[in-house]
Parts: sequence; structure tokens; C-alpha cells
Amino acid sequence: MTPFHDYFGISWYIYLLIWSFIAVGAHVYQVGFIVKLIRLGKDDDRFNSWKQRMKEFLTDWLGQRKVVEDKVAGYAHALIFWGFLMLVSDVIDLGTGGLFAEFLGMIFLDNIWNLIVDIGYLMAGVGILAALYRRLIIRPEKLKGTSMEGVLILFAIFGIVITAFIVEAGYMLGEGAHYNNWEPIGVLFAKQMQNIDSATLQTIVDISYWAHMILIGGFLIEIPQTKHSHLIGTIPNVMFQDHDEMGTMTPMQVDENDIAVKTDDLDFEKLTLGVNKFEDFTWRQLSDGWACTACARCQDVCPAYNSGKTLNPMQIIMDVKNYGKEHGNLLLAGEAPDETIVDRFTPDAIWACTTCYACVSACPVHIEHVPKLTDTRRHLVMEASVFPEELQNLFNNLERNSNPWGIGAHKRADWAEGLDIKIGEPAEYLFYVGCAGSFDERNKNVSRATAKLLKKAGVDFSILGEMEMCNGDPARRAGNEFLFQMMAEMNVDSMNSLGTLKVITACPHCFHTIGKEYEKYGGKYEVYHHSQVLNELRQKEKLKIKNFEDKVTFHDPCYLGRIGGETEAPREAIGGDLIEMERSREKSFCCGGGGAQIWMEEDADKRVNEIRAKEAVNTGADCVAVGCPFCMTMMSDGLKTLGEEQKTVKDISEIMLENLEV
Amino acid sequence: MNIAVLIKMVPDTESKLEVNDGKLSDQNFKYMVNPYDEFAVEQAVQFKEAEGGKVTLLTLFSEDNSIDTDLRKMLAIGADEIIALRQNEYKGDKPLANAKILSDAIKELDVDLILCGIQGIDYYQAATGTMVAQMLDIPNISGVTKLEYNNGTLKAKRQIEGGLQTIETSTPALITCQKDMNKVRFPALKDIMMSKRKPFTNKTVESVESNDIKTSESSLPPARDGGEIIEGETAEEKVNKLIEKLKMEAKVI
Amino acid sequence: MSNVLVIGEIDGTDIKNISQQVAAVASGMGEVTGLVIGSGISEAGMKLAAGKIIMADDESLENYDPVKYASIASYIVKENNIQTVLLGATSMGKDLGPRLAAELNCGYIGDCLEASSEGFVRPNFAGKVLARSTPKEAVVATIRNNAYPAGEAWSGSVENYSGNIANSTLNTTEIENIGSGTVELTEASIVVSGGRGLENAENYDSMIRPLAESMGAAAGASRAIVDAGWVSHSHQVGQTGKTVAPELYLAIGISGAIQHLGGMSGSKYIAAINKDPDAPIFKVADYGIVGDLFEILPILKTKF
Repeated sequence: MTPFHDYFGISWYIYLLIWSFIAVGAHVYQVGFIVKLIRLGKDDDRFNSWKQRMKEFLTDWLGQRKVVEDKVAGYAHALIFWGFLMLVSDVIDLGTGGLFAEFLGMIFLDNIWNLIVDIGYLMAGVGILAALYRRLIIRPEKLKGTSMEGVLILFAIFGIVITAFIVEAGYMLGEGAHYNNWEPIGVLFAKQMQNIDSATLQTIVDISYWAHMILIGGFLIEIPQTKHSHLIGTIPNVMFQDHDEMGTMTPMQVDENDIAVKTDDLDFEKLTLGVNKFEDFTWRQLSDGWACTACARCQDVCPAYNSGKTLNPMQIIMDVKNYGKEHGNLLLAGEAPDETIVDRFTPDAIWACTTCYACVSACPVHIEHVPKLTDTRRHLVMEASVFPEELQNLFNNLERNSNPWGIGAHKRADWAEGLDIKIGEPAEYLFYVGCAGSFDERNKNVSRATAKLLKKAGVDFSILGEMEMCNGDPARRAGNEFLFQMMAEMNVDSMNSLGTLKVITACPHCFHTIGKEYEKYGGKYEVYHHSQVLNELRQKEKLKIKNFEDKVTFHDPCYLGRIGGETEAPREAIGGDLIEMERSREKSFCCGGGGAQIWMEEDADKRVNEIRAKEAVNTGADCVAVGCPFCMTMMSDGLKTLGEEQKTVKDISEIMLENLEV
Repeated sequence: MNIAVLIKMVPDTESKLEVNDGKLSDQNFKYMVNPYDEFAVEQAVQFKEAEGGKVTLLTLFSEDNSIDTDLRKMLAIGADEIIALRQNEYKGDKPLANAKILSDAIKELDVDLILCGIQGIDYYQAATGTMVAQMLDIPNISGVTKLEYNNGTLKAKRQIEGGLQTIETSTPALITCQKDMNKVRFPALKDIMMSKRKPFTNKTVESVESNDIKTSESSLPPARDGGEIIEGETAEEKVNKLIEKLKMEAKVI
Repeated sequence: MSNVLVIGEIDGTDIKNISQQVAAVASGMGEVTGLVIGSGISEAGMKLAAGKIIMADDESLENYDPVKYASIASYIVKENNIQTVLLGATSMGKDLGPRLAAELNCGYIGDCLEASSEGFVRPNFAGKVLARSTPKEAVVATIRNNAYPAGEAWSGSVENYSGNIANSTLNTTEIENIGSGTVELTEASIVVSGGRGLENAENYDSMIRPLAESMGAAAGASRAIVDAGWVSHSHQVGQTGKTVAPELYLAIGISGAIQHLGGMSGSKYIAAINKDPDAPIFKVADYGIVGDLFEILPILKTKF
């Protein structure tokens, strides 16, 4: 029994043809509109390394690698996703009145195909039920207050699954029909339906068939309009994911070898600084908008969002899409809407980001949130010149005295007095001290501890002394790319003139910027975080260090752990039994200081460092070990605010020096 | 309204201060625009934006040091041109001589209003601006925290002990600007780049004889190595010692 | 002995204390002539500690006007063969001094810490360098408040000014009194700042503010207590607050994190009171008292 017969004297396929034309037409039209919008974006050549990209596509898209990190929603999604991939060809079969299966029969593939489709429907059905259970029964906090769209869609696709089984069962009932064991779920349905009289059965099959086709068509029309655009949007997003190292920002202008054009040679006539208009984004930044599934994993891990600030990384991505949709006709006509991207994001949100990359790292479909914020910062600083007042201080200080506090540049090497350290001489390692390690009393102690340990182990190193400048990270993350580049160029000159090849630093921001970002400015060095070098010395027993006996927890700095990829060296360097915080290693939670936040005023009731300090306190540790000068300040402040002053905050090197066996 | 702004190039506040044989060494100085003068430039640009006219920056400085980058920033925030008077023997602590040269240069410009910072952050004499006004035989109002211009009348509020004095005058006049007069804008990068196209004239000027008082000896206040923790049996004793030190050693109360 | 002119300032019916200080300095340098300019000033002007006082009393002189005042002073300098003119380093003195020097074409020394017939010492670079000069020629100088003890009022001869008064376009339309207690944080020569060690907002109000007022200082605060809502953000000193560079920064119960130091390290002298001997503030302080601020502050307050 099939639904393929005349209705009201007109053949079924005429109806289907008309409906397909409407549904497919509406789908293609809308997708075309989106593609045109995305193509307004600037070039970003990611059409390379195809082998790697295919591999990533297979594991991340097809394999749902990051999706399943969330156990319930992730596996439910994966079941639906894989199920639909397996069953999608059934639409062709149902649309052609079974011709597809007949064709497969000729090459003896019909049975296996039937089985695959049947399992696909089953997997999708199970996945949908699990997802419904999560949405309606578990109801996680982040789903409260969201629209019913998700639930409705789940019911709709559940309808697609059920109706497919009914139609399938219909095939197996009636005159001359038999159970097809290659469709086991269909058989189960058929057995339930076998006692229904044939006229009723025919009606049930017909209704199911048309419900199935209407739902599928409706779904096609709906896809481009809602978050289901991710069904298509994730394909380019995953395929063309960022191959640069995490957290590396792009220069204002690059030459044909992808090297930054020197500040003196920049062509400002042709240069757009940062992003304020939709078309200032690259196409790949725009495609993020349609790849987002609103899974809110970015929101869950965002320090700004979790401390109550305006910024929600998911909203930023939604904003890109909604802005495009709302102003699409104007944008495609080449006109500028009154509302800009900065207006849509809002400056408060833009300035709240700590650039910790937790959002990017959490996103299952490789959406890049942070660059959207740092790009709009570039616009606000370099084009519009509207930014938090405190940053003007920061920029002036960096410009005049090459450190964020504006302390006399000639005092940079004062911390090293009496330690007999080579200054400005070639050596195997350059110890890049950084501003906090040079000027901040608390962090000077870290510099001294590091230097003492290196000397003790006989490492040949020198410092730049007064020639050293801030690496430029605060300027860069705060949107002053030009200032960053000037500082980078000067630092590279100084380091190259010393013949520097290897660099040690106790600051993860120096570690990141010098190690991964200076290359485009002519500086290629092997850069080590001090914990890496000190740990190696410890493992090789060049430093004999007792295990730390206090109860200690280690707070991973974002730019060392998640962004820097180093989570083990600091732990081994400290030694002893560490108590881990709930969020640690790559999933560590920001101290609140990065992204130039430490130079901006943060609302007292919305402090990121207090959240993190609480997590540290909850471990019951007596000492919080850190590996970053900003973390040192933020964690100390956080503990003080919580009234936990008795807990100490110590750098890895300080702990090692205390436990050095004499 | 055409406005001249007098700008002093001063050593960065964080410069290392060294005295050798009673003379202040200026070898390691890095120079910047005197911050008080930035308020004057900002005010001039605001008047220009409201009233039209031209803002000319006038500075007097030695021939040895490069000052272009920092000065150009003042063009970037909206001034129209720079006339830099360069003098071989320039010294920042000769207000009378410097005022003479500056006022002679202003006479060649057609300006209605002259603005400058109340003082330089190098010698803090707060003298040059007022002297220029006298030499041009125009009135001056100093230490102004708020300045308005309406139909040819300037209205200035200046800080006095315990209050504010509001003074009105017609132009021409010279105003010295106090901190907090306005918020100096931060130039956008495009403006910095465009400022390279604005006129920047260097003119050599001869030094003039003057009755300025020469410093016979410079010295650093008594060295303070790491500070001193004041010891004492009682709190009273400690406080007394502290007051004594602040009065006699530091001479700050 | 040279002839010295002291230009006195009045405050209501009294001569300003700083003018008496200047007069006392002048008496050590030579024959002192006093000049008081204003309107209805006879009672107050008489009190200036000088043997001979010239009164320029005219309705048009009620408010300070540099053009008119300088014309009067320069007339008197020339008439009386004055070599040295001394003024207080007040808002008037610092304005009139240089204008007068230009009119007389003589040297000017502003804001002196020391002044005597031996010479003058004035601060450069916010007091980080001291410059001594020993002028032989005529000079106009202003002297900083509290550098010297005040002279006693005495009755010398009084003369009325008979010269011309220059025309001026300046017209004072208003004098706004904002009280002497409020000193602008960024302009203050002394800043008294409080931090978390104060324990609560009431202690800030009852200890820091009165101490600041009696020292003629501005009251500052660390970020921690601004956050806690004890004081408004306009008092915050530090990286994300105000940058101050006073002659004296008195840090009370402030530990001295770098973010705070960034806003006050340019101070000429730093004194700190804190119970924790390891507080980083002591690393930058010139003078430190380790102890209980609740015991120390009440005693300190009695000294001003």
C-alpha cells in the first residue's frame, strides 16, 4: 500500500512537484541571499592545506568531535545528525514514488540501503527524544527563558521520523505485500498496524506521507531563517577554520608573504582600521553568524558574561547574523544602515572582553568570537577615537615610557641590581622580563626568583635592561594596533641586534606575543615560559627541589594554558600534590586581567577575579600558584576582597626557590 | 577667530634627573608637549570648530632635539599649523627671554586670542604666558579652568584661593590654561597620518640678552634610599618624628 | 641695604597670613615698603608688617586685575627705587609677579622655598630638583605659603597711591566661594589618602577628611574603598583613577599595589602609615610608620 495515487483526480506527483518547487525555491532563494551577504565580507584566503581541512571536516563536522563534549546535548545532537545523514536519501525515494529504491535494486544495494535508512530514522528518533527530555524535563539553567522554537522543531522532526516509519510500514501491508526484514523498525510499525482495515490504513498512510513531505518542505523553508541555518553554515565554518595559532591577531596590512607592512610604509588611504561596518568583517567572520546553533557553550564559559557584564559572546554572533538579516537589502544595495556594527554590539560589550578565548575554544563549530571584539576595538581606538578614558593613560604611558604605568623607562632593570645579571649582552637565552616583572614590587620578586634559579642551574642568559619595552600586548588587545606594531618593531630590532634565538619569560602575554605574533614583524624566536625551562632543569636535576608541602592549587593563565597549550610544565615544576580547581588546564577560568582589562575600571559588583578567587578558595588550598603577573595581581586582589588574605599567591618560580635544596 | 597656542617642549615627567657639579644634566631627556599646553590646544580647536578661524601652534625649542612626532599630535587633534622657533642656546628657565622671542613672533601673526598652559612641568615658573601678554600689551587671565567665547567676549573662570573668579574681557587677550579645563581628545590614527600634511615650519631664531635670573646651583633633595621606617616607643613619639622630618628634611609642610 | 617692595593681599578685614610671611622675609632683606591694592582696604592694609605702606584704594581695584595692578606696582617700583619685589605665591602673586617683572624688564623667581639676602631657592621638576640663585640685579619673586613664619602687624606710615591706574578690558563679574576645605585632588600640594586599613566608611569620613582639611590637603582613596562604596570615584588615586603628583602624599592604611602606585609615584615625598611592615607601600615611601592607624591618626590630627 503506497500513497502514490491520484488525489481529487490529479496525480500525486503534481502536488508534490508544486510543493517541492515552493519549498526548494524558497530555500534556495534564502540561502542565496545569505551567501550574497557573506560575500560582502573582505577576503580571507583559507583555501589551502586541503588535506588538513578535509581531516578536520571529517572529525569535527562529520565526527562531531567537539559537539559530544557536552554529554547529553552533544550525543543527542550527534544521533540526530548522523541519523539524518543516513536517512536523507529517503526523501529522494519518497519523492520519486520508490524509483530510487528500484534503481538501487538493480545494483543489489536496495536492502542495505533500506537498513541504513531505517537505522538512521531510529537514531534520529532516539536523539530527538533525548533532546526533548533535556529541554522539557532536565531544563538546564541556560535554556530557561529561551524561545519554544527549539522544542517545536524537535516535535516537527520527530513527526518526520514517525511518518516515515508509517509510510514504510504501509509498503509492507495490503495485497501481495510482505514484511521487509531489512527495515526492522518498519516491520515493528507494520505489525502494530496490520489489523487496521485497508481503507483506514490507506488514509493513515496518505496523511503520513503528505505530513512527512510538508514537514520536510517546511523545514527546508525554515532552515535559512533560524538557528537551523547551522545545518548549512557549519560546513564552511568547520572546513575553513582558523589555522593560525589561537589568539594571534592579524596585522593591519600584510605583504604578499603575509609579513606585516612596516608602520612607515602603511598605506592609510586604502586601509580600513578595524570593523564598524558589516562589510569590514571578512567573509569567514560573517559566516560565523549562520553557523551558530545557539548552544550557549560560549556563554557558559565567558568570564565577562558570568560576572554580570553586558557582553555575551553568543549574542555577538547572533548580532552579526541579525544585523545582516535586518539590513540585508540596504547592505546588498551598497548603502550604509544608520546603525553600525559597533552600535549593535554596544561599546560596553566590546570593552568587556578579556580575550581569554574560552568561547572560541568551547565552540563546537569553530566560531571566532574574540576577533570580532578586538576588531571593533581597533575601529573605536584608531578610527573613532572613542574608548574608555583609562586607556588613554595606558597608551600615553606605553608610548612615552614603554610600560603601562608610565614609570621611568630607566628604572626597568632596577630589580636586577646586585644579582650580577648580564644586561644587553648576547647569551644563549634572553630573559624577557616584561613590565610587571620590572616595575611592580610584587612581581619583581618573581623576576628575582627566576633569575636566581637560572643562575643556580648555570643557564647562560641576559636581559635587555633599558632597551626592553612592553611587548605591546595591552595596546594590541585594546585596539591600538598601530602602537603595538611600533613597539613590536622596536623590540624585534633590539632582540635581533643581540642575536636572540631563545627567549625565557615569566609573563604568558610576552610568551604569546613574542612567541607567536612577532614572526609577522620580523622576529622569530623560540619562546619559553619560565615554568617550561625551570621544569626541564628540575627534571634533569640541575635544580634539586623538594616537593611543595603546602596545599596548593594552580591557576592556569589563559595565555599559557588554553591559548599557549602548556598545562603540564607548571604543574611538574611546582611538584607535590596539587589540588585542582573545578575548571583547570584548557578549561581554566580567566583571572579577569587579560585583554587590557587590568588597565580599565571594572564595576565593583562585576569582578571576574572574585569568581576565580572563590573557586581557588573552594579547593581548600593554602596557596594559589600562578604563572602570570596579571593573575598574581588579580588573584591577590580577589582573595583580599573575599577576606581570605591568609591564603598566599605565589609564582611557580617563587615556590621552586623556597623549596630549593641547598 | 584666529588663535595662537604657545607650546613648551618639556622633559618627560619620568625623566632621570641627574645633577653634576651643581648643574642639571639634560642629556637623557626625552621631550614631550607640556601637558598644560595640551589643554590650550584642545580649547583652541574647540573654539575653531565653533567659530571658524585658524589655530597656529608656536613653540620655541633648541635645535638639537627632534620634536616632530609629539608636536604633530597637536596637529592631529585639530590645530592647523606649527611654527617652531629653533634656537641654539635655548633654555627652558629663561621666561623673560623666551617671552620676548615668542611675543615678537606673535606680532607677525594675526591672532585674536593666545592660549597656553599655566606652567611648564619642568620649571613650574608659570611666568612665560603672563610675560608674553605684558609684552604684547594685552590683558591676561591665568589659571583658567573654564573658558567660553560669545560674540567677541571671553568669559573665563580662574581658580583663586577658596573659590572661582569669573572674568570677562574682549579680545585680544592671553589665557593660561589650568588642568581640568577640558579633556584633551585622543587623535585617531587617520588624523595622525593626515597631520603629516599640515604645515610645519622650522625657523631659526637668535638668542636675546635678558635679565633672567641664572640658577647658580641645582641640587637634588636629600637622597632617599628605600625610605625610612620611623621607630619610636609610642605612637606619639613616632608622629612627632614624622612631623619633624616632613618639616625639616622634606620641607613639605 | 636694598629697597624691598612687598605687595600684600587682604582677606576681608584682615591682611593675609602669607603676606605677613612675605613681609617678614622682606624685613631681613632691606628697607620694606608695603603696597596693598584694592577697594575699601584701609583697615586690613594697615596691618601689613611694613614700615611704610602705600594704599592703592579705588573702587575699580576691588578685584584683582593684572593690567591695573601691574601698572600701579611698576609705578611704585620706579618711584621708590625698589630692587626687590616680593609677593606671596598665591593665585594673584603668581600672575602679577611675572607680569610685573616683564613690565620692569627684570628677572622673576617664582614659588620660592627660601628667600633671603643670601639668595633664593625654588623647586624645579615638581620639587625633584632644587635651584638656587643669587641675583645681583633687580628681581620679582613669589614666596610659597608656610615657608616662613608670619610677621607681626605694626603701625607704620601710610600713604595713598597717587599715580595712574591703567585701563583694562578685564571685568570681574562674579566671585564664587567654594570653601577652602575643598582642594582639587590633582592640584593639591598635599594629598591624604585612605585605604582598606580604615575598616569602614565612617572612619574615612571621621579621620581622613578632617585631617586633610586641617592640612590644607585633598582627600584621596585607594580603589578598594572606592569599590566598597565608602567614597566616590572622584577620590580614587591610581591607574584607573586620578594621577596625582603632590609634594607630599600621605598613604594611610593603603598597602600600595602597583595599580595604586601608578597614580601617585610621581609625588615628591611619600609617607605611609600601615600596620603591615611588609606592605609594598613602604618600598616607595620616604617615611613610614608601622603601627595602628587608629592610634596614630588622632595624634597626627592634633599637630595641624
